[in-house]
Amino acid sequence: MSTPLKINFDKGTLILQNVPKALESQLQDLCWDERTLTFRAPAYRYRHIVSHLRAHDISYQDTARQFTTEPFTLQKEMLPYSYQTEAIDAWHANGKRGVVSLPTGAGKTFIAILLIADTQRPTLVHVPTIDLMHQWSAVLKEHFGQEVGLYGGGHHDLRDLTVTTYQSAIMHAPHYGNRFGFAIFDECHHLPGGQYQYAAISSIAPFRLGLTATPERVDGKESRLYALVGECCYEAKVQELSGKMLSKYRVVTIAVEMEDTERIQYNEARRTYLNFLKQAKINMGTPRGWHLFLWKTSQTEEGRAAFKAYLTQKQLSFASTAKQEWVWKLIQRHRGDRILIFTQDNDTAYQLGERFFLPVLTHQTKLEERNDFLNGFRDGTYSILVTSKVLNEGIDVPEANVAIIVSGSGSVREHVQRLGRILRKREGKQAVLYELVSKQTGEHFVNKRRRQHNAYQDSE
Amino acid sequence: MLTKDLIRYKIQKGQIHPQFIEPTDSELLAIADQLIAVFEKSPNIPRATLLESSKHVIDSTPGEPIVKRGFEKLLLDRTEFDTAPNQELIAFRKKLFVETSRLLSQEQFHGYTDYQRKVSQITAGESQPEIAAIGDGELTDKLYADLPSYQPVLTFNTLSPERLLHRYNAAQVQGLLLHCNTLTLKLADSMTAELRQLFKYLRFNQLLSTIRKEEELYQITVDGPLNLFYKTKRYGMNLANFFVAVLHQPRWEITAEIQLRNRQPSRLLLDESCGIEPISQQFLAYIPEDIQLFQAMLRNKTDDWQILPGSQFLPLTGDFYCFPDYQLVHKSGVETSIELFHPWHQGHLIARLNTLAEQTDASLILGVSRELEKKPIIAEALAASAYFSEFGFIFRDVPTMRALLPILNSLV
Repeated sequence: MSTPLKINFDKGTLILQNVPKALESQLQDLCWDERTLTFRAPAYRYRHIVSHLRAHDISYQDTARQFTTEPFTLQKEMLPYSYQTEAIDAWHANGKRGVVSLPTGAGKTFIAILLIADTQRPTLVHVPTIDLMHQWSAVLKEHFGQEVGLYGGGHHDLRDLTVTTYQSAIMHAPHYGNRFGFAIFDECHHLPGGQYQYAAISSIAPFRLGLTATPERVDGKESRLYALVGECCYEAKVQELSGKMLSKYRVVTIAVEMEDTERIQYNEARRTYLNFLKQAKINMGTPRGWHLFLWKTSQTEEGRAAFKAYLTQKQLSFASTAKQEWVWKLIQRHRGDRILIFTQDNDTAYQLGERFFLPVLTHQTKLEERNDFLNGFRDGTYSILVTSKVLNEGIDVPEANVAIIVSGSGSVREHVQRLGRILRKREGKQAVLYELVSKQTGEHFVNKRRRQHNAYQDSE
Repeated sequence: MLTKDLIRYKIQKGQIHPQFIEPTDSELLAIADQLIAVFEKSPNIPRATLLESSKHVIDSTPGEPIVKRGFEKLLLDRTEFDTAPNQELIAFRKKLFVETSRLLSQEQFHGYTDYQRKVSQITAGESQPEIAAIGDGELTDKLYADLPSYQPVLTFNTLSPERLLHRYNAAQVQGLLLHCNTLTLKLADSMTAELRQLFKYLRFNQLLSTIRKEEELYQITVDGPLNLFYKTKRYGMNLANFFVAVLHQPRWEITAEIQLRNRQPSRLLLDESCGIEPISQQFLAYIPEDIQLFQAMLRNKTDDWQILPGSQFLPLTGDFYCFPDYQLVHKSGVETSIELFHPWHQGHLIARLNTLAEQTDASLILGVSRELEKKPIIAEALAASAYFSEFGFIFRDVPTMRALLPILNSLV
């Protein structure tokens, strides 16, 4: 009798021993590893390998898989909306894998909870930020009535339900990637970028769910996302759900005129910056443009002056005095509302926080104060919260109904996500998003570009 | 280490050349000296003030700014800041924001100054005199006075200007190795203490390696498990750390594939002639604690076997080699080696068992930690290995003579 094929897990890969000759070419990504004198495959191919062996009635010994079924029980009955049921059905029909794309506030977490209860497998939820990690943990604990493990931000606690940051997962998945049968990737548009994909590659989880409001990526790498998590199996756009499952909203763009002295400063800085680009033959529109600019500006005095000019013109368009005046007007106009103020950078956020004596939440905010600001904003202790980018994604602040975008990147995704922060439905809620755009600056063109997205059409 | 914007290199015909500085350049040594002096005076000074002082040196001295900023970065890596939360300020902010939130939600103001005046009244009524004394302008300045730029320096681990220049050159290479897919190292088998350290680094960084002999040199290919499928930089940090041990070798040569963002992969070729001095301490005369303990245990139990001071490359089946942890000699002249496998050596152990599957002589004794043995894959592999059943043993924390001596005695 021949020795059975053996599958083992080793640092984010699978080691296969006693592989029959005929099988070597049939299994995807199976390679001979001369370093260990074994066959090896990336861990995420586990499902493909096992399915293939079963389909061909090939006996095997599996010590890779270190999980069994877990009887997760929901603490209370949960009734999904029709579109959530459709998303759940689509995911099942897709072989229990795939990406669900829904606007922020449409209940993606709710879908994930129902699927965890359905699949009954130890589940690892991947999130991009520490705040989201704690938010998911609280929601899972509430719905399943059991302790939830945390991995990341100083926590190293693995449980049958665990939430981790992507950053932590790429470091630790090679060690625990065989302990979970269900992998959920929240804000999964991050996954194909650089190193994050190794969180999915190093896991054997056969069941996978990606959640996002915007799977498309500028670099076109969403195909990598679909290869690792499964195809996009369900998608609904913000306008389809607005007024029904999401709050009605308005987008108001305010063109802000700079004060004369700032305008002069801006024009001068802009000229210096553009002249340097021209002189150094740098095209900022190319993928290497920014790196080349950084490199060349660090070489000479003139370069350093150009870099300083770049920062000055950017800072002036992001946070001119006139913009600050507008922030004050809007705060006054929306007395009694719950307002989120977004900026592109931390400096502007703190500048506003210091000027208007407001809580500012950035990645520099320590955990204790971070929780206080978020909880205080939710319960109304604080009616206004200033933030740069950390609240762009996922964080649930249903009470927010006004967003003021003081500055931002050119990314459509970022603006759709920021809009999403104020869309969670509440009885009688009318959300409004203000964009402050400095007239006759680079910001004006950036704004024009991103307004082409359908989310920029008012819901009314 | 240096960030990517501080690495200096040129790429020509697919080869990447780090732009090293001359470690004896008097101008650079003088600049390094000035920067070190700024950092030596930094304890208790806020980060922003320190950076301002070092910027002054960078701006007021000749030479390439990118090099001087590189020096600054390496010195910052040796500086510890007080990052503990300022509880007093946090408590004050909380109190203030509750009030400002109430004001902004409920009250109507005659312009911003009216609001500012009301906020000042709140702080004036504050029971803590320090906070009550804060004026309008100062309140703005002190509200977030615990941000990183305000954090004071706790300690600075100083070094000489010469060491900083060598460290800078080493950091140039490390900065490139962060973007490395795979690395091949050629070494002469000469000084075993340095080699021991190198292999410790290798195994500690959980890198996989194959060792082969090519003429007089050993060729060690180093990468991680996933490199088989992807040109991943996943192990870049491990390889950059590993480079520190390479610098201690008397003769070495590395070939690495470097993949910088948005660029074609390029090759980095480097050997000991680059002149970079070791940047970590090397305790050649020092006998590691584990070896001392092992020696003592051996002496207590038998006079027949002695532990040799160093190890050497050991040829295995095929053209593979390994570098064992201990080498022992019997009074009769019989020699053997021991290689230990800890919980993080799963891949290495599987590789070793596979290599030894066809080996019949006992040139290598395998010690496997109990914790590693608990892993199903390892338990099974050990149970199936005829070699291990004859020449292997299990240990808990350190190898015991009770487990080892019977194997040693069976060899003579």
